[in-house]
Amino acid sequence: MEHHSGLVLPNSGHNRDAEASKLGMWLFLFTEFLLFGGLFIVYMVYRMLNPEAFLTASYQLNVTMGAINTVVLLLSSMTIAMSITAIQLGNSKRSIQFLIFTVAASLVFLVIKYFEWSAKIHHGLFPGMDVFNQLPHGESLFFYLYFFMTGLHALHIIIGAIFIIVVIFRTKNGQLNANNYSHTENAGLYWHLVDLIWIYLFPLFYLIH
Amino acid sequence: MKNNTESHNEVVHETHIVSYKEHVSTLVALLLLTIMTVSISVFGANLRSLTVATAMLIATVKVIVVAYYFMHLKFDKKIYTWLVLLVVVLFLSFLILMSIEYLNR
Repeated sequence: MEHHSGLVLPNSGHNRDAEASKLGMWLFLFTEFLLFGGLFIVYMVYRMLNPEAFLTASYQLNVTMGAINTVVLLLSSMTIAMSITAIQLGNSKRSIQFLIFTVAASLVFLVIKYFEWSAKIHHGLFPGMDVFNQLPHGESLFFYLYFFMTGLHALHIIIGAIFIIVVIFRTKNGQLNANNYSHTENAGLYWHLVDLIWIYLFPLFYLIH
Repeated sequence: MKNNTESHNEVVHETHIVSYKEHVSTLVALLLLTIMTVSISVFGANLRSLTVATAMLIATVKVIVVAYYFMHLKFDKKIYTWLVLLVVVLFLSFLILMSIEYLNR
């Protein structure tokens, strides 16, 4: 047995550090940013090589649906930011309401995305389908990138929604409150990243004509 | 509902609470930018290269607004802004070097 004479470290038993937690989240977001950044560079190079084909292929996408999804994501970004305001003010109930709205928005986004994808698959434009196989080289590249990038983005939407649902339950049972809301903040940061990626995806795929 | 933490900011490091109203204004700005970018694309179809440039410019403005207000960069410690800029510079330098290589082939 060792004896520490007079040296006692204060420890509440809760080793929380909101600042470190937020910094960690940001560092993770940087890797996400570079992941999508790499894909944007792939898109850029292929587009410079096949400008006409990308233009023709982009007309297949539905601008209205893309625009609605943009608005849905912007709205949900605001509600999750408001849920942080609410929990900081000590109003957990309102914070949960804003979070539920955000999850609902993520579902609306996914449903619209589902309809868009089904329309493309119905037209045989998914990689490997007959119409896709007949496409000129540049156009098939556009659809490869479209399905991969929006698919990866949709996966982020699903993960973000699960993260927010976890935050809802933790707020409900009081683990998250006005003194400890770093998970709410981190869920918000993640959700905003998902929104940021869509802000670039939307004009690049839908609006380039 | 309004925060009054700013008055004793110099005593303790209080967190800035963004009001609901500020969030609504941010959303309105983002929606206006979205309307702008969609209408330029739909009605300015004959100005192709110009529309791509403006679409990217508007998207970048939107991203800055989201990061600055919704992601609290405005109110957080400056280290976060510097880190974001560092990553952006890293990405842009790769993008620019690659474009130079591409254009000089």
